[in-house]
Amino acid sequence: MKGLIFDIKEFALHDGGGIRDTVFFKGCPLRCVWCHNPEGLSRERELYIRKARCTNCGLCRTPCNHPDCAPFGRCLHICPQNLISVAGQEWECDALAEHLLRHKAIFDETGGGVTLSGGEPLLQADFCEALLLRLSGKVHVAIETSGYASEEHFWKVISKCDLVMMDLKLASPTAHKEFTGVNNDPILQNAKRLQKSGKEHLFRIPRIPSITDTEENLRALAEIAGESPVELLSYNTMAAAKYPNVGREFSRRIGKTGFEGDPTKFFQNAVCRK
Amino acid sequence: MNQELYQYYIVDRAHRALRKPLGRDLGAEFASAGLCPEERMCRRFEIACAAETPAIMPFEKIVMRRSISALPDVFTEEEWETIKKDPYIHELGYVSNLSPNYEKIICKGLLAVYEESSKYQKRVIDALLGLCDRYRAEAEKQGREDLAEIFGRVPRQGARNFREALQFFRILHFFLWLEGNYHNTVGRFDQYMYPYFKQDMDAGIYTRETALELLEDFFVSFNKDSDLYVGVQQGDNGQSMVLGGLTPDGTDGFNLLSELCLEASCELKVIDPKINLRVSKNTPLWVYEKGTELTKAGLGFPQYSNDDVVIKGLERLGYDHEDAVNYVVAACWEFIIPGCGNDIPNISGVNFPLLVDRAIRAYLPTGGDFEGLIEETRKNIHAECERKIPLFKNVWFVPSHLMDLLRDGKKYNNFGFHGCGIASAADALAAVKTYVYDEKSVSAERLISALDANFENDPELLHLLRYEAPKMGCGKAVADDLGFWILDTFADALDGKTNDMGGIFRAGTGTAMNYLLHARKVGATADGRRAGEAYGTNFSPSLFAPVPGPLTDIESFTAHDLTRTMNGGPLTLEFDGSVFQNPDTIRKVAMLVKHFIDRGGHQLQLNTVDLDALKEAQKDPEGYRQLVVRIWGWSAYFVELDKEYQDHVMARQMYSV
Repeated sequence: MKGLIFDIKEFALHDGGGIRDTVFFKGCPLRCVWCHNPEGLSRERELYIRKARCTNCGLCRTPCNHPDCAPFGRCLHICPQNLISVAGQEWECDALAEHLLRHKAIFDETGGGVTLSGGEPLLQADFCEALLLRLSGKVHVAIETSGYASEEHFWKVISKCDLVMMDLKLASPTAHKEFTGVNNDPILQNAKRLQKSGKEHLFRIPRIPSITDTEENLRALAEIAGESPVELLSYNTMAAAKYPNVGREFSRRIGKTGFEGDPTKFFQNAVCRK
Repeated sequence: MNQELYQYYIVDRAHRALRKPLGRDLGAEFASAGLCPEERMCRRFEIACAAETPAIMPFEKIVMRRSISALPDVFTEEEWETIKKDPYIHELGYVSNLSPNYEKIICKGLLAVYEESSKYQKRVIDALLGLCDRYRAEAEKQGREDLAEIFGRVPRQGARNFREALQFFRILHFFLWLEGNYHNTVGRFDQYMYPYFKQDMDAGIYTRETALELLEDFFVSFNKDSDLYVGVQQGDNGQSMVLGGLTPDGTDGFNLLSELCLEASCELKVIDPKINLRVSKNTPLWVYEKGTELTKAGLGFPQYSNDDVVIKGLERLGYDHEDAVNYVVAACWEFIIPGCGNDIPNISGVNFPLLVDRAIRAYLPTGGDFEGLIEETRKNIHAECERKIPLFKNVWFVPSHLMDLLRDGKKYNNFGFHGCGIASAADALAAVKTYVYDEKSVSAERLISALDANFENDPELLHLLRYEAPKMGCGKAVADDLGFWILDTFADALDGKTNDMGGIFRAGTGTAMNYLLHARKVGATADGRRAGEAYGTNFSPSLFAPVPGPLTDIESFTAHDLTRTMNGGPLTLEFDGSVFQNPDTIRKVAMLVKHFIDRGGHQLQLNTVDLDALKEAQKDPEGYRQLVVRIWGWSAYFVELDKEYQDHVMARQMYSV
C-alpha cells in the first residue's frame, strides 16, 4: 500500500515527548485560513517552487525527457539553485516504517518516537492503519489530527496510537465552517469519543488573532475540553511565505490582535506555548 | 552580573582607546646591537613591563590590562627573511597553541622556582614582579586594601585562596601575552582551580552567587585585551577553557566550579574564554542541559569532546594514559596535553577534494574500474602526506622564557595535519561511483568536460551532482563509507612517520581556515561544487548537502570508528535560535548531544544562528556589535569578521523548529 507524504522532519520539537520524527501526510479536508502547511492541503502531488529566490533564468522551462517531469511541465532536474521540488512523495508502507525505525535507538533512549501529522493523516486512514501496524510496539507513535473524519476512520487509527494531539479550533459551527471550510460536528463527536476512550490525549488550540483567539471562543472550547489537557499555541505568519510556492494566496482575514490576558484561566488544564 | 564592569570593558571598551604604542622599533634596535634571540625576548619583555602603566578600576576585582598596544617584533623584516631560509617557521614564529602548567606556579609562587631558573628567566621574573609591585602601589594609592594584600602575596608566593588563585592566573596569562606568545590556552581550569574554590566554599567565604560574580569578573579579564590577540581573524585568539572530563583517578571531574563557569559564560555572553566541555558515556543528561543553556546564548560553545573516544585515540597515538586523560584543546579543537605537550597540532592540512579531483581527472579517461579510482586516490593521499612530511624539519620557535617556566619539559613533539574538505571529497567519489560506474548514466568525458567548464555547459549534470547525488551527512552509506575510508587512508599515510623531534604525525578532521583557502586551490569538483565555493567547516557536510536532519547528520558522521584521526575537528550542527524556546526543547537538544557522544562521536560543536540578525548586521554593523558567531574553532563578533567569513556562516546548513 502506498501513502502520499510531503515531508519527514527529524528532530521535531513540538510534536510530543522526547526526540521524534514527524511524518507529514499530504491532503487535508479542511481549509483553515491560517494553515501553516499550504503544501499539505492538496491530495495530489504538486510543484513546490521557492519563488522568493528565483531569478527567472528559464532553465526549468527547457524541454526534457525525464518521465517524472512530464506531469508538471517543468524540468525538476535543472534548477541551479534547486528551487523546484515536488510536494508529495509516494511511500510504500514497509519502506516508510523501515525508514522511521532507523532512529529507534534515540527514540527509545529519550522517550520519543514518531508523530503522524499533515495535512490530515486520517484522510489516508487505511495507510495510517497499515503503517501503525508496523510501528506499534516498536516505537511510541503520536498523531496530530484535526479530528475531521468518520468515526470508523478516526477510531481505527486513533486506537493504535499512543498519544493523540487533536486540534480544537472554533466552537461555533458557523464560524468553523467559515474559517476552516468544514462543519465541526464530526470533530466535536470525535473529541467526545477521544475523551471517553481513556487514550492519552491533548487538545491543541491555535490562537489565531480575531478568529479563534477570542474570549467567547476560548470559553466555549474550554467547555468542550473539560478536564482534558490543552495546549494553547501562539500564532505567527511565517507560513505566509510558503503560499506562493504552491500557487496559493495567503488569507488576509487574520486580524492583528487576539485575546489579551491569560487565556489558560478559562481552562481546567491548559498551558500556553509559543 | 557586575553591570559597571560589563559596560566599561565589554560594551564601551573605553580602556582600549587609552592604550599607547610602545613607540620603539625594537627589531631594528636589537638588530643593530647584534643581540641573540634569547636576549631580545628577555629585553622586550623588560621594556614592555617597564612601559606598562597599572590601571585599576574601582568596580573590578581581577585586575591587569594592557596599557601599551601592539608589541613591536623582536626581529626586523629582513632578519625574518634570513631566519625563514633555514629552519621551518610555524605561523608567526612565536610560541603558540600550548597549554601551560598554571597549576604548579599558582600553587608554589614564582620565588619557589626562581633559583632553578635560567638567567633570562630570572630577569623575566624580576620584570614581571616589578610591574606587579606597581600594581600593588597603585592599589594602595587607591585605597584598595583587598588588591594590595593580594599583590603582596602573589605572584611571589603561592595562592592561598580562590581569589588569589584567580588573580595569579590573570597575572600569568597577562604576561604570557605580553611576552609575545599567542593562542595561550587556559586548560583544565575547573580542575586546577577547584581546590582553592572548594576550600573557600567549604569555609563559607562565598555563596554560589558571590562565587559566580567573582568568576564573571575573572571571565571579563579575558576580553579586556583580546583585540590585541588577533589570529587569522579577530576572535581567533586561542583562549580555550576546558571543563569536566575524566580525572587521573578515574572519576568524573565535572564539579560545581565547572557548572559556575558555564553559568558565567551564559550570563556574560562574551566570546572569551571559549568553553569546551569534556563528556563521556557516563555524563548525566543534566550536564548536557547546562551545556545547552550555554549553546542557547549563541556564542557557539560549549564545544564537546568525547573522553571515551579521545583518550583511546590519543593512547593509540602513543600518549601515556595519565597524559591522555588530561587532554585539553588548543586554540580551536586540536587535542593537546597540558604542561608536557610540545605538539604542533596545526602544522599543515591536506586538501582532500583536490587529491580526489586529481585522481578523477587522471584516472577516469583510462577507462579503469572504480577500485582503480580508489587506488589512485589512495596513492594521491599517501603521496601528498609523503610530500608534506619532510617540509617540517628543523622547526624553530622564538624563545620564550616565561612560557618555558610554565612547562614541564617537552615530552610530546607530534605534528598534526588537518584533514580538509572530507565531505566534499567523499561526495565527489560517491557521485562518480554512482553515476559513472554503477548507473553508467554519466560518461567520464561528460563529467570532465563539465568540471573544466565549471558546469556552465551542463546545468543538468550540475543539478544531478550537487542536489541529487548521495552525500555525506545524508544517511547514504556510499558517501559516508567513502568519507571514513578517506580518514582511514589519511591515518595510514601518516602511520609510522616521524619528525626530526622524535614525534609522530597525527591525522585530523579539522579544516581551520582551509575551508576557504584550500577550496580556492581546486576548480569545480564532482560533488557539484562550483569553482571557488567553500567546503563545510571541519568534519561537517558540504554546504549544499540535502541533510534530512540532525539525527541523520549525526549518524553519518559517527558511522565508523574515529579513534585513528585524533588531531581534532568537530562535526558542527547549526540551529536556528527558535530551537531553544523552553526547558523542554533545551532538554531535547541536550539528548541529541548525548546521543552523539554515546554513538562514539569525537567532537561536536553546536551553533545558534539568527540568520535575520546576521543579514541586518551586514547592513548595520554598529547596531550589532555584540552579535556573536562561531567560525571554525572559535567565536567572534560577527561585525568584526571579513565578509567571506560572514558569508560562510550564513551559507551553512541550519536546523530549525
